[in-house]
Amino acid sequence: MEENGKEDIVVVIGTPSPDSSKLYALTVTEGDPTWAGALAGAALNLPVFHITEAEIRDQIDEQVFEDELGGVDMVLDVEDIAEAVRSVREGVQR
Amino acid sequence: MAKQLRILHYVNQFFGGIGGEEYSNTPVQVREGPVGPGRALQAALGDRGVVAATLIGGDDYVAENEAEAAVSILAALDQVKPDLVIAGPAFDSGRYGLGCALVCRVAQKRGIPAVTGMHPDNAAVITHRRDLLAVPTGTNAAEMAQMLAKMTALGVKAASGDELGSAEEEGYIPRGIRKLVFKEEVGYHRALDMLLSRINGEPWRSEIQVQRYETVLPAPPVRDLSETTIAFVISTGIVPRGNPDSIPGARSLEAGRYSIEGIDSLDVENWESVHGGFNTRILNTQNPNYAMPLPTLRELEREGVIKAIYPYFFSTVGNQTAVGPAQDIGRRVAEELKAAGVGGVIQLSG
Repeated sequence: MEENGKEDIVVVIGTPSPDSSKLYALTVTEGDPTWAGALAGAALNLPVFHITEAEIRDQIDEQVFEDELGGVDMVLDVEDIAEAVRSVREGVQR
Repeated sequence: MAKQLRILHYVNQFFGGIGGEEYSNTPVQVREGPVGPGRALQAALGDRGVVAATLIGGDDYVAENEAEAAVSILAALDQVKPDLVIAGPAFDSGRYGLGCALVCRVAQKRGIPAVTGMHPDNAAVITHRRDLLAVPTGTNAAEMAQMLAKMTALGVKAASGDELGSAEEEGYIPRGIRKLVFKEEVGYHRALDMLLSRINGEPWRSEIQVQRYETVLPAPPVRDLSETTIAFVISTGIVPRGNPDSIPGARSLEAGRYSIEGIDSLDVENWESVHGGFNTRILNTQNPNYAMPLPTLRELEREGVIKAIYPYFFSTVGNQTAVGPAQDIGRRVAEELKAAGVGGVIQLSG
């Protein structure tokens, strides 16, 4: 990113819970909230989406989504995950 | 402006950027300035202090080599000469919590105030409660910055030399220390006020902290014993003769894990009870099976009444162990049994 800038970069995550989604979303926006890794204190402010969010999902071929992620709605709490990631994203936009 | 405090910050190998579990044997070492969460600590401190150095220790190393680790910690304190030590926060990580507790204890012995942060159920709180000035945290490491801000506030106060208020006023985990205080109203007035508030449905609080015991719901019944592996989990203190894990006769914090694979019955040549709370003479000279009826369960296994006996049993001494450590033992045992697909447990208490 230092070489190419952050234009046209979107981060897509596939984390399994609202908490972990928020953690990873924060890591690529405000910086690692656990302050453990290389991105501690590094505010990349990248737009971040969960793969199950409509913005991403609608752009994926239905059959491909079904093959790779079929049934994900039953396994994951996709609504709360989307809310967690959205809140981080919107926090950045403000 | 008040003098800037020199801070020594302790973190484990993970937060110290050395590596994960595979580096948990890293000995204690000092780095100049803040590392990892230390940068958030520095931000929380502002101009009140400076993170002069970071002390990093591997979780296993510190937990398993307490004496050597304490020597290294002491050397670091003498080298850095901090006004305040901040350790962690460790959240719910038990070994990291014990490391933080060790650093705090060594610093306090040197006369240096020390503050840590961890979950109230962390093993280190259970073991070292009276010695720790610890901010209660949750289990989510993403709250690092908020927790460090709280630890900083408490640490700055502790380092100021002003007397600290109660755990509730200052926001640390109660240490179980009682202090004599004077109240304006005498006891029976206060008791009546409390009673009236209670009757009127108004808020009231007891002046005595009572430990609340959780209600343990019984597990659902075992559906089909013939399809179920059963394990023995006992607190009658049965161990291989010689007590290889040094399970203590009272206040045990551990359970031993011993194989009974291929064994039909316990004999006094190979087994004994180390329980210190009842007379073990008959168990230890005649028949240890009274404390773990293996022959009977083997019979039921042969008859197909149960599917199998789990090849290991867990044994501790249920004598004066506090609720917290007992829950810890239970959790560890349950994790293994669940992972192994054990469907039922026979518990015998001593």
